[in-house]
Amino acid sequence: MITAIKDGLRAGLITAIIFTFLILIGFTSVAANIIGDILGNPQVLNNETRLPVGNLLIFIALVGLFTGLVTLKKGSNPPWTDVLFRGLTGGILAGLIVGTVIYIVGSFHMEGVDFRAYLPNLGASQLGYLLFYSTPIAASKTYLLYFTVFSLVGALARKTLTMLTGLRNKLKSIKSQIIDWSDKKNFHSLVGNQLFQAGLIILVGIGLYFLPLVWGSYWNYIMGTVAIYILLGLGLNIIVGFSGQLVLGYVAFFATGAYTFALLTAPEPHAVGLNLWVAVGLSTLVSILTGLLLGLPILRLRGDYLAIVTLGFGEIVRILIRSDLLTPLTNGPKGVTNVGQPIWRGHVFSDVNYMHLLMLLVLAGLFIAKRLKDSRTGRAWIAIREDQTVAQATGVDTYKYKILALLLGAAFAGLSGALFASRNQFTGPEDFALMVSVNVLCIVIIGGMGSLPGIILGAFVLKGLPELLRELADYRLLAFGALLVVMMIVRPEGLWPGQNSKKGKMATFSNSLGEDNLEEKV
Amino acid sequence: MIKKFQNLNITWGTALRYIAGLIVAVYLLWRILQTTSIQGSYGPDTWMRFLITGLVIGGIYSLIAIGYTLVYGILFMINFAHGEVMMLGTFAGYFVLEAFAAISAPGSGDQSLSLLNAYPFPALVITFFVGASVSALIGYLLEKIAYRPLRGAQRLIPLISAIGASIFLQNAAQLLFGPQRRQYTNPDLLWRGTGWMIPVGEKSVMLTYTGTFSFILSILLMAGLLILVKKTRLGKSMRAVAENKQAAALMGIDVDAVISKTFIISGFLAGAAGVMWGIHNGLFNHYVGFIPGIKAFTAAVLGGVGNIPGAMVGGMLLGLLESLGPAILGIDFQLKDVIAFTILILVLIFRPSGLLGETLKEDKV
Repeated sequence: MITAIKDGLRAGLITAIIFTFLILIGFTSVAANIIGDILGNPQVLNNETRLPVGNLLIFIALVGLFTGLVTLKKGSNPPWTDVLFRGLTGGILAGLIVGTVIYIVGSFHMEGVDFRAYLPNLGASQLGYLLFYSTPIAASKTYLLYFTVFSLVGALARKTLTMLTGLRNKLKSIKSQIIDWSDKKNFHSLVGNQLFQAGLIILVGIGLYFLPLVWGSYWNYIMGTVAIYILLGLGLNIIVGFSGQLVLGYVAFFATGAYTFALLTAPEPHAVGLNLWVAVGLSTLVSILTGLLLGLPILRLRGDYLAIVTLGFGEIVRILIRSDLLTPLTNGPKGVTNVGQPIWRGHVFSDVNYMHLLMLLVLAGLFIAKRLKDSRTGRAWIAIREDQTVAQATGVDTYKYKILALLLGAAFAGLSGALFASRNQFTGPEDFALMVSVNVLCIVIIGGMGSLPGIILGAFVLKGLPELLRELADYRLLAFGALLVVMMIVRPEGLWPGQNSKKGKMATFSNSLGEDNLEEKV
Repeated sequence: MIKKFQNLNITWGTALRYIAGLIVAVYLLWRILQTTSIQGSYGPDTWMRFLITGLVIGGIYSLIAIGYTLVYGILFMINFAHGEVMMLGTFAGYFVLEAFAAISAPGSGDQSLSLLNAYPFPALVITFFVGASVSALIGYLLEKIAYRPLRGAQRLIPLISAIGASIFLQNAAQLLFGPQRRQYTNPDLLWRGTGWMIPVGEKSVMLTYTGTFSFILSILLMAGLLILVKKTRLGKSMRAVAENKQAAALMGIDVDAVISKTFIISGFLAGAAGVMWGIHNGLFNHYVGFIPGIKAFTAAVLGGVGNIPGAMVGGMLLGLLESLGPAILGIDFQLKDVIAFTILILVLIFRPSGLLGETLKEDKV
């Protein structure tokens, strides 16, 4: 009983804090709007200044349900009375805290206090909505009621669900005894059939060819961005995912590629006017050289030091590009405009052509990355990633392979930089902030370090989804940050882990922290 | 000839490293000679001003750098979100000062006299205490939520978690308080841009009140920390845990509690540094922690990461190098961040153990 109440109170406290935080960052009304969109409720009622209260109530109910769900621990199966207590205590505590906050803020609001100077999300319209356009005391009572009721419902639902899964598992085991495996084998042989594979590839190819023609330019733009980030992700994956070197200044190579291409093709500030395809090759080459310049001295460093040094390098490149010192060369903070456009058979590339080019390059990149991974080099990288000392002892030239990984990664970045500059017809120093490196790193890690399908998935999740969910754009980075932390705790191998990283492997390997620390320190 | 080289055990990497180092050193010397030999480029008063700026900023860097060093010494991880911990301290101090400035002093009869100007020193003490405590709390929660579940994981994993926490805190601050720049309200006694005039040569240099105040406070806090680490029981257990976690646990030290306290202490110092930053520089927004965070990390590396006096010396040195460097080298002041990052890279290439650090094994580097 005591543990039940304790668990309930903890869950209630956590949800109350989260919910208050969501109110303060203005997420509650955004969520309510999204719920309204999904349910097809009108955004504005008869009175034009008021938002529909029902959507907000649904959101509160969902948070209440969540409270109830988390009052039960994973894998536990407490008795019904216990569940009742957990749901009730959690809901009441959460409701009391949130209700008190709403009551205090609402009372101040009624007296005419303006919070907006310090907390911009507590404007008059927002607060009115949070108070359901009624008095603070009535609103806080509603919060308490909703949290309590739905927390109880959530706890009971979780309990029911655990019972159901228990039943389902039993059913499954019976089923597996009965069903013959021949169906599955047939399916496997079909997938393994080369003819079938070839047919599938041709079908997908035809689909990919026609999609950009059908989509329209808006989708071509978004998917082009996703494709560029897939290329970047493939490159960084070679460095971080395969060889295990954490590089946080990947944007430096992206920037060198973009700027080399822009400066070689744009009329301003140099008017070199080089052939575009030569320029693409050159920008890749310059990025590789930058990688060599950076890699030769610093790749002896390990782990976190490497991360910070490369981060510093990325910032140096950006600061130098925009500094007065290099303005004659790079056009400074203004950036380079009218970057060259590729020409094919006398026509300037349209967005469809770009999309086709990007798709081809992504496929080529995937092919290269796949072949590299399965090669002797790839095995050497993975050996370095798993344990550098052991790799060295087994005869892997770690320094050489780490530099090779960095150069290949830099090549990918240089190529995508050139494409990026050409497609946007512009490149400026602010395109290359630290956030680009972090985004690409997120793609690699969230997809699954070292996993190629994971990168495609990661790029779609991180670059495609925010474009679709425009309302949530402000909360994108906040969610990334939280996602990175949660992923590292819950699923460090990523959403779609590669074959080489079995589940839990990342967590069991320890070379600096915790238990295995003894010998290393002495 | 080749055999001789092999006996010397010089690999291409090392050779290249030292050749590059030699070129850099020669270039820097030439540059310094060139700029300093040009008579009258900077008067003694300007140098004095650079020196003062460097010391004040250096004190702030030192306080943040200690946080990096303490955590690294115990967990061997870079607390990437440390700059964000400082940023939240800056915000907390700002709100406290705003509150003091908004309330008029009781009993004085003068409505325009705020509590802040009526009792400036108690108000400042409370501000610093609240700012530092908020940062300490954030540091504690950060460790508990983002790092503790990852004890014993591969080395990259806590670092990625720290990067995530850093992004989260930065954006949370932006969403909570808005993206605009804000300005600290100082008490009139400590107004920015006022100070003592010190005659240097024919001209005089202003020694600002805020700068002096920050510098003295940072020295006091550092002295307090040294006493804490060297003389108290907590300091002893911190050193023991840094030395060897398992042995410390066997001696009856609660390792997790010590780690929590380490985060609290480093958060406290970072928060104090954040409030100082606000009082001294005035303007701030949610990005305020990022650059000082990386600079302070550089300072920690410069002094030898894991080494507390090293972090203090490194912070001061970095502050001085940053403010004097552009003038000595005769380059743009825009490039002072480049100087800091270049120092970081050079130190890590040539002396990864830092100026005062012990020689670490390659694993740690």
